[in-house]
Amino acid sequence: MEIIRTENLTHRYGIGTPFEKTALDGVNISVREGEYVGVIGQTGSGKSTLISHLNAILKPTEGKVFVDGADLWSENKARRIETRFKVGLVFQYPEYQLFEETVYKDIAFGPKNMKLDEAEIDRRVRESLRFVGMGEDCLDKSPFDLSGGQKRRIAIAGVMALEPKVLILDEPAAGLDPKGRDEILSRIRDYHKETGSTVLLVSHSMEDIANNADSIIVMEGGRVRMHETVDAVFERADELIAMGLDIPQITKVFIDLREKGYDVRTDIYTIETAKREILSKLTGGASRD
Amino acid sequence: MIKDITLGQYFPGASPIHKLDPRTKVLLTILYIVSLFVIRGGWGYFVSAAMMFVIIALSRIPFGVVLRGIKPILFVLLFTATFNLIYGTGTPIFEDVSWLGWLTWNGLRNAVFMAVRIILLVIGTSFMTYTTSPIMLTGAMESLLAPLKWVKVPVHELSMMMTIALRFIPTLVDETDKIISAQKARGADFETGNIFRRAKALVPILIPLIISAFRRAEELADAMECRCYHGGNDRTRYKVFHFAARDALAALVMTGQLALIIFLNVVT
Ligand SMILES: Nc1ncnc2c1ncn2[C@@H]1O[C@H](COP(=O)(O)OP(=O)(O)O)[C@@H](O)[C@H]1O
Ligand SMILES: [Mg+2]
Repeated sequence: MEIIRTENLTHRYGIGTPFEKTALDGVNISVREGEYVGVIGQTGSGKSTLISHLNAILKPTEGKVFVDGADLWSENKARRIETRFKVGLVFQYPEYQLFEETVYKDIAFGPKNMKLDEAEIDRRVRESLRFVGMGEDCLDKSPFDLSGGQKRRIAIAGVMALEPKVLILDEPAAGLDPKGRDEILSRIRDYHKETGSTVLLVSHSMEDIANNADSIIVMEGGRVRMHETVDAVFERADELIAMGLDIPQITKVFIDLREKGYDVRTDIYTIETAKREILSKLTGGASRD
Repeated sequence: MIKDITLGQYFPGASPIHKLDPRTKVLLTILYIVSLFVIRGGWGYFVSAAMMFVIIALSRIPFGVVLRGIKPILFVLLFTATFNLIYGTGTPIFEDVSWLGWLTWNGLRNAVFMAVRIILLVIGTSFMTYTTSPIMLTGAMESLLAPLKWVKVPVHELSMMMTIALRFIPTLVDETDKIISAQKARGADFETGNIFRRAKALVPILIPLIISAFRRAEELADAMECRCYHGGNDRTRYKVFHFAARDALAALVMTGQLALIIFLNVVT
């Protein structure tokens, strides 16, 4: 079933000023329920602008946004605000939005706004804390005493606690060390598996997306250039490179092998498939030329 | 959104107005404001408004931007005009309609003049910031206030503080927008409820904002220290201001405007 759809979605910033800028230009996307979608594109390609439309933070200049079949901007305001609980959005650098005295209270901010009862709020706080892999001992600490990576996980938990049908994360791994990055990405993957909810993960790095996503939306200059399965997107790796996107190391290795004359596939982006491809070539007796 | 505030905003450009020495612009803005308060009659306002139109045209700043600058003061404008209208004295406009007796020619005149004066005042002052970058503006301030150094006023340090403050306005506005969006995404509601509820709703915005302002301040202080910054007398400027022919011309035009207004005051 389709959960999110945009029709000819266009957004211009600073209309009527010398800084007018078309950040989105006729975007049509459709996301199925339960799908894990990667959104990739260079900085400034319109990724953040696109996702801010999906929970009615930004109003389209033109076009429509449908969530669960309902046109967001033809509904009344109260209904529109409801969709914020249906589509949970984690902005870039979410650790800068923490404000409460304790981690517990900060995660509870969203559920409280939903007017849930205390017991339910408590359950959600603990559950989302578990999803981001933090121990309950941090619940009474001040969020400002945590490390950068921990703060970010708390902020993500604050949105997971809304238990949204769709979880959208804008560059959740930006600025973290490799270990912190892998940790966050695998937590999100587990969350997706366990809850079965729809996930949109925005990144400018293929490596973050390739291993997790079912399909990929590639953006360039405010337009959607591709929206296909991961395999189909990687078959067009040369186009990705031309767009200035960095592709996974392992894919580069196979493209180089191909150029050197080895008859190998180039749509390879995980170590596992790489291993299988090499083994099959070796046992199959592939050789130069 | 909060971004719609244009007051204090700079629109880069290469128009004759942009190219004026910032010191000229500061002084002539003051002169323009003075001239607004000298005006006594309709012709004076006409001259002042015409002057403003010429400046707008020369600066190539879209008229829409100028109009949007007036929006925030619309309330003050209506308020002032209404009061002038109600408290007018003299002959009523409709002498035979008794319930409209309070509406006088004199009140109407005052209301219109006062509105025009406020509008010109706001446009005039915002034009200085529209066409001058904040750095240039504080440079001009420092240069104009230099004589105060003799009485031990830390002019350089003050202007440095002002430069930094101005420089960070857009950054903090951006930041505020982001924080508001992030809290909205968690269902925060800033628009309903009584005044206490609304004030309380600001906490999730203000705390992250203040924390980030402190963080930025610390980072900036470190960066300045690393570059061995110190205020004081021996600093030279990277960009040295020079008065040019166009500055003389602008000063001449503006003084001419004031002279014309005074002349109109005398003859009418
Ligand atoms: N608040 C804003 N005001 C004006 N322009 C903006 C704003 N936010 C983004 N833009 C512009 O819109 C374009 C798309 O930005 P964004 O959606 O943030 O891209 P991405 O997330 O892919 O880096 C960029 O050119 C950016 O400069
Ligand atoms: Mg972005």
